[in-house]
Amino acid sequence: MSLRIVVDVTEPSFPGAVAPQRRTTVDSLGLRLNLLEWGDPEASPLVLTHGMWDHARSFAVFAPLLADRFRVIAVDARGHGDSAWAGAYSWFTDVLDVINVLRWVGRPAVLVGHSKGGGQATDAARAVPELVTKLVSIDGFGPPSLIDEQPLPVRFAEFLDQRRRQVQRGTWRPYASLDDLVERRRAQNPRLSRDWLRYLAFHGARVESDGWRWKADPLMAHAIGPWRPEWIGPSYATLRVPMLAITGSESDTWGPLPEPVLAERLQRVPQLARCTIRGAGHFVHIECPAETAQAVLDFVRS
Amino acid sequence: MHILHGRVALALHELSRRDGPALLLLHALFGSSADWGEAAATWPGAVFALDFAGHGESESVLGGAYCPEMLAGDADAALAHIGVAAIAGAGVGAYVALLLAGARRDRIPAALLLPGDGLAGGGPLPDFDREFPSFTVGARAPGECDPMVQALDRDVRPVEYAEPFARAAQRLLLVEDGTPRPPWWEAARHGPSATVIHTDVSAALQHLGATQITDH
Repeated sequence: MSLRIVVDVTEPSFPGAVAPQRRTTVDSLGLRLNLLEWGDPEASPLVLTHGMWDHARSFAVFAPLLADRFRVIAVDARGHGDSAWAGAYSWFTDVLDVINVLRWVGRPAVLVGHSKGGGQATDAARAVPELVTKLVSIDGFGPPSLIDEQPLPVRFAEFLDQRRRQVQRGTWRPYASLDDLVERRRAQNPRLSRDWLRYLAFHGARVESDGWRWKADPLMAHAIGPWRPEWIGPSYATLRVPMLAITGSESDTWGPLPEPVLAERLQRVPQLARCTIRGAGHFVHIECPAETAQAVLDFVRS
Repeated sequence: MHILHGRVALALHELSRRDGPALLLLHALFGSSADWGEAAATWPGAVFALDFAGHGESESVLGGAYCPEMLAGDADAALAHIGVAAIAGAGVGAYVALLLAGARRDRIPAALLLPGDGLAGGGPLPDFDREFPSFTVGARAPGECDPMVQALDRDVRPVEYAEPFARAAQRLLLVEDGTPRPPWWEAARHGPSATVIHTDVSAALQHLGATQITDH
């Protein structure tokens, strides 16, 4: 089979998307994390953490809207974007990465995370409140209650089978063109314009000899463990910094949680502000960057 | 020999090569396959001892993500090489042995659970005040464990997580000596196939071997 590779390597542009002004790397637990920065390096810091399968360039419109006021630092999580791939993945080490970035910044920062990055930012804020002035979680409040369709040992055996298969495979299949990746990403971001999707896919993938591949590590796809969503609410009770909880009004694949579930969790946060962005789904800051940035700026000022 | 789990090369030591039922030994936290010494010298079949990732002669997990589920993957990679085998685990290895005995019940006729380092983990429920310690770790020194394996001393091990594995396991032997055992162990002890024995490690392995000869 011959695969026609379209190597259209010109960087796509998108209105409002600004390339980072600085790039740097930080070592965390022996892994190289890639950081992108916008704004005055002397300004007060604001750290951004993205969600699962996403990357720091997904903040390319949102971050510049905060950069007049802040030194904005967007982190590629391990296994994502231009950060290194790990030997294995765990929530615990992801959170330690956020803490290590905050330590590297060295001054108390506003911490803003989306989705899984929001949950990890929340755990980091709980662990090192002295390094976080305020916390913003953008639809990062965990999954709904788990419905276990199979007995745990059966699911565990499937996890082990997937681990064995991963040894043999270990990489994504190549896509013939960037447009194929755009179509793939459109499935989870149905409200985004084609140009925006193309920008996000371009920075989330790299072109290799046999085609385009996502940068994110396929090894992250499978996980199992004792963790329960019922633990999220009680964990919020130990949060010692103010939290702004941002959700979108529109239902999509990943969110938002049904309001009673969300409210039950968030009522445990000691200092809580909430904000709903009209017309946005789970990717609130990507779909409505100006409104989301304004909500963050209002919260920081309050 | 070395086997691969994900991206990590693991040392699997073949301690004895007799014909008969196979045994896989899983050491405790901060330990290695060397800890077993001559304990399995009288085992009636082949004996293998695994060094978990970050321990003994096995590679570290780049970036330090250690959890019992990944260690179960280490042991499962060893089983893929060995085939059907009884397993014996100490400390965190005992917890891994329980998970594996439940998940791979068709390939594990019996599991022996022994005390040792990393037996309790972080307890049966999350402690939201001590989940994320401010530990900074250096590189792994020659002959030492990866310092990040200390994460295996703080993962949560709920009773209701352990119970279904205890119910699914073909046969569990638990070594007790009157000292306290963590809640997950109590759940394993209440499994339908569980037997409690009061012996040292060598005698416990002889007991396990005797059950395997009978079944073989």
